Amino acid sequence: MPEAIIYDAIRTPRGKGRKSGGLNTVRPVDLLAGTLEALHERNRFDTAEVDDVVAGCVTQTGEQGACVARFAALQAGWDMDAAGVTVNRFCGSGLEAVNHAAAMVASGFFDLVVAGGVESMSRVKMGSDGGAIWDVQTQWDIGSVPQGISADLIATRRGVDRAQVDAFALESQQRAGAAMKRGAFAGIVPVIDENGAVLLDHDELPRPNSTLEGLGKLPAAFAMMGRDYALDELVRARYPEIERVEHVHSAGNSSGIVDGAAAVLIGSREKGEALGLKPRARVVSVGLCGTEPLIMLNGPVPASRKALRKAGMNAADIDLFEVNEAFAVVPMVFMDELDVPHDKVNVNGGAIALGHPLGATGAMLLGTALDELEARGQGTALITLCIGGGMGIATIIERI
Amino acid sequence: MSEHTTSNDAVGLDFDSEAGVATLTLQMAGRANKIDDAFGEGLTEGLAWAKEQEGLNGILIASAHKDWCVGADIDGLYNQRDTAAMVEHVQGLQQLYRSIETCGVPVVALLTGSALGGGYELAMACHRRIALDSARVQVGLPEVSLGVMPGAGGTQRLPRMIGAQAALQIILQGRTLRAPKALKQGLVDELGSDAEEMRAKALAWIAANPKARQPWDKKGFRVKPTPGGEDARNLYMVSAAMLYKKTAGVFEGPNTALSVVQQGLRLTFDRALELETRAFARLACGDQAKDMIRTIWYHRTAAAKHQGLPSVEDAGIAKVGILGAGMMGAGLAFVSAQKGYEVVLKDIHQEALDAAMKHCQEQGARLRHLSEAAQGEILGRIQYTLADADLAGCDLVIEAVVENTAVKHQVTRAIEPLMAEGGIWASNTSAIPITDLAEASAQPDRFIGLHFFSPVEKMQLLEIVMGEQTSEDTLARCLNYCKRIGKLPIVVNDGYGFFTSRVFSAYILEGAQLVAEGHNPVLVDRAARLAGMVVGPLQVFDEVTLSLGKHALEQAEQYLGPVDLPGVALVRRMVDELDRPGKAAGRGFYDYGDDGRRIWPGLRELASGVPDETGVAILAGRLMLVQCAEVARAMDEGILRQRRDAEVGAVFGIGFAPGSGGPLSLLDRIGLSAAVAAMDSLAERYGERYRPAAGLRAMAEKGEPYWD
Repeated sequence: MPEAIIYDAIRTPRGKGRKSGGLNTVRPVDLLAGTLEALHERNRFDTAEVDDVVAGCVTQTGEQGACVARFAALQAGWDMDAAGVTVNRFCGSGLEAVNHAAAMVASGFFDLVVAGGVESMSRVKMGSDGGAIWDVQTQWDIGSVPQGISADLIATRRGVDRAQVDAFALESQQRAGAAMKRGAFAGIVPVIDENGAVLLDHDELPRPNSTLEGLGKLPAAFAMMGRDYALDELVRARYPEIERVEHVHSAGNSSGIVDGAAAVLIGSREKGEALGLKPRARVVSVGLCGTEPLIMLNGPVPASRKALRKAGMNAADIDLFEVNEAFAVVPMVFMDELDVPHDKVNVNGGAIALGHPLGATGAMLLGTALDELEARGQGTALITLCIGGGMGIATIIERI
Repeated sequence: MSEHTTSNDAVGLDFDSEAGVATLTLQMAGRANKIDDAFGEGLTEGLAWAKEQEGLNGILIASAHKDWCVGADIDGLYNQRDTAAMVEHVQGLQQLYRSIETCGVPVVALLTGSALGGGYELAMACHRRIALDSARVQVGLPEVSLGVMPGAGGTQRLPRMIGAQAALQIILQGRTLRAPKALKQGLVDELGSDAEEMRAKALAWIAANPKARQPWDKKGFRVKPTPGGEDARNLYMVSAAMLYKKTAGVFEGPNTALSVVQQGLRLTFDRALELETRAFARLACGDQAKDMIRTIWYHRTAAAKHQGLPSVEDAGIAKVGILGAGMMGAGLAFVSAQKGYEVVLKDIHQEALDAAMKHCQEQGARLRHLSEAAQGEILGRIQYTLADADLAGCDLVIEAVVENTAVKHQVTRAIEPLMAEGGIWASNTSAIPITDLAEASAQPDRFIGLHFFSPVEKMQLLEIVMGEQTSEDTLARCLNYCKRIGKLPIVVNDGYGFFTSRVFSAYILEGAQLVAEGHNPVLVDRAARLAGMVVGPLQVFDEVTLSLGKHALEQAEQYLGPVDLPGVALVRRMVDELDRPGKAAGRGFYDYGDDGRRIWPGLRELASGVPDETGVAILAGRLMLVQCAEVARAMDEGILRQRRDAEVGAVFGIGFAPGSGGPLSLLDRIGLSAAVAAMDSLAERYGERYRPAAGLRAMAEKGEPYWD
């Protein structure tokens, strides 16, 4: 079986996902096109050699609708033979794009694929694409609550309290701050406007000076919808033993809403050699799983176990982990279940500090892990995300 | 002047050629206009007739009966099991209603009486609704109370008329509104002070709106909130959550209606009706609708009409004495005064009387459809007193003092002689045998049990208990009183706990027992709700208070012998050692704080061990079957005089799963053989309280259900 080689992985900085954010004036298609241009700039491959551009994007409606990947490739001025497909696996979309590209290469069907993702949350509102998830019929037949309530339910069931999630959040902020200071995010390419002026060259969201006191003052974000609007009750349809959901997640210990895009260049060894590309890592294995959809966020552990099993590895064999900080409790559960020390997990902070541009995050985390492996001279990393609808995705990479 | 009149089986037809207005008057045989085949044919014919009239400018739909149209013919609904036939029936009605609103001339509903369910759906298919300005006239969609949902366009017209949010309030709760309120909420468009004014307003409206069309048939019509938009997403999610909170999701009618409203509003009106039809047919032919209709319609109506019960023209009751001015006594005083009885409310404490007076005043003020003078008249009929002598001349005395045989005997001896000649003595005891209480009476034939439920203003049921010597005449007179105060009677024979208290005790004690066995208390109450019980056993035990429960247990032991159950010991411990007497004290099975109730964390430590199996299905099965076993025993012991009273008493008295139709319906639904086997198996493991009574066992063996 051919190997899927990672030749490069870059991302935009993450702009605040609101009207005042640094990337708000940039169309989503331009955000992704700029990233593709930068990828081409760094690697100088013939874009006609690209079989496909696979982009994750969650809210595929409005200006993120109608296959943004194809139009981004064209907008970037790439050869028209470079096709495009946009994939939606909710928060796992960016990593799904990577795994999909790797699978096409590993199968031998394709030789060179660009994976990545884009989400302009300041311009296309989360949830505005609708879907069966909003249907009452889905509620009765399957069960569904807003993600924050699922996260609080996990915390309730595991006895994780507010102080613990806040402590985790503080660590994320401090790590992100330290990483930015020492330039750990080597894969960032600035977003520039049509005049060449820099719109944003650093992550906008982190608050490295956060304190436990400050975090503790933030209101529980899902308490009102849970209690006053009774959404907590819906939990009891699947978890009848739950008397009350303890709301511990706040804006301070949940992932931030941001804009951003990412691109990862993946190809066969032969194609890389032919194009003079320098291999950075290979995709060792992937894992994907479905879990109970109402609690929704329990996927990273089984998905990672699947990927480890496929690779014939144990968690202890992995040097670095990137576990998406959708909510603080998710990586906390991951560390607990896989018995992984915190100093191997999200060493440069995570989405709590940096933000979670839904469709792009998975590809971004892969780049972050690869940059850090190189900086530390280490070998393997596992990237994993929890996913709406009760899924999990994971990818193991190894430096070459 | 009208120059042209005719009629068919359902509808009177009249054409006023001067105004060019045809009047279709619903005048079905019998006392009410209800929707059946004759109705459909008659209205179809009438509409065709009207359209043939030269110079037709508009159509009025009126009623010759007191009500305008009370909805579906329940017999037709109840007896249909074939979904294809049901679809055909409903489609016919929908097409008729559709042809009314698209007939080309304005159609006005003249609501001189109530328009309910399919009747109100007909009114919605008119272009304008003019109602009589009277609290007597009600409109709305009560379908979910019978296990179905609106099926003649109601789920689609109402949200398009008044917006989805307001419509859901009515559809999901099965609400009906009095005319003045219906006007405010947009369910009717105009009020008229009498039929003449209503007609005049209708003619004026027809003249001003010759091209009337329904909003949803106009180009560019938009329903609010916009389907798929953020407001809609939030509305439906929160509506589902609120509904689930209230019902634990056990009622198929509102669950389905909510989904059909959401889905239908994305479609054109005609395609949306298809969704409604399919969903309605599924519900109407399903088990829950049949079980709910049987009990909540047929049995309840039979009980309300006193079918099979004695009656008297004149009960000879004008003055009612009530002993004990607690919650119950005050409530009884108010409901009696409200219906015109002179009431004397007696207590031995002035504070109790003061509290009772305050309660009655509050209740009076809640009757907003009455003038202040009328409210005052009601309150003026109640005399509050500390003196026995004021009870002189009472035709009925209802004793609601503490549950203590000696005390009850004592007040009987003291006050019975003051009653009017032929007066009736009633005890509101919830459990003590009437025959025992009657021992203190000089007139045991006129001594009866009137077991009311709290809060008496709200609870419909009245359990009438016949002592060994109570006469049928006494029963008939009390039934007359019962009817006048608007209560729903069941009549049972004497025995400790009668019917409702027996079953209720079995339920709440089993809750305590399950806790004692080590089951998670949260799961115990939840399992009960998921089985359809209105309130979980631990919650309701707290509400009646554990201290009263313990007292009742001690009293029961005098009659039934000692009970050796860990659950009973647990209740005793809660009260005697742990000072957790119930909700009133803020401490029972639950802790009660500012942010609601939570199971007391120490409760699980009182368990004797860890059960080898638990879960909703197991707990629900035990909580329901233990009640069914008690019902079957009560039947064997002759407590129940009529089978229907088992259903009516359980559902309306103690909140037995209304969606099940009651304990006998539930047994039928499980299958009597399967139920008997399950109960025998539970009896082996957990005790004889589960053992099926001989009568139930015999029916199971013969393969007979309780209801056909």
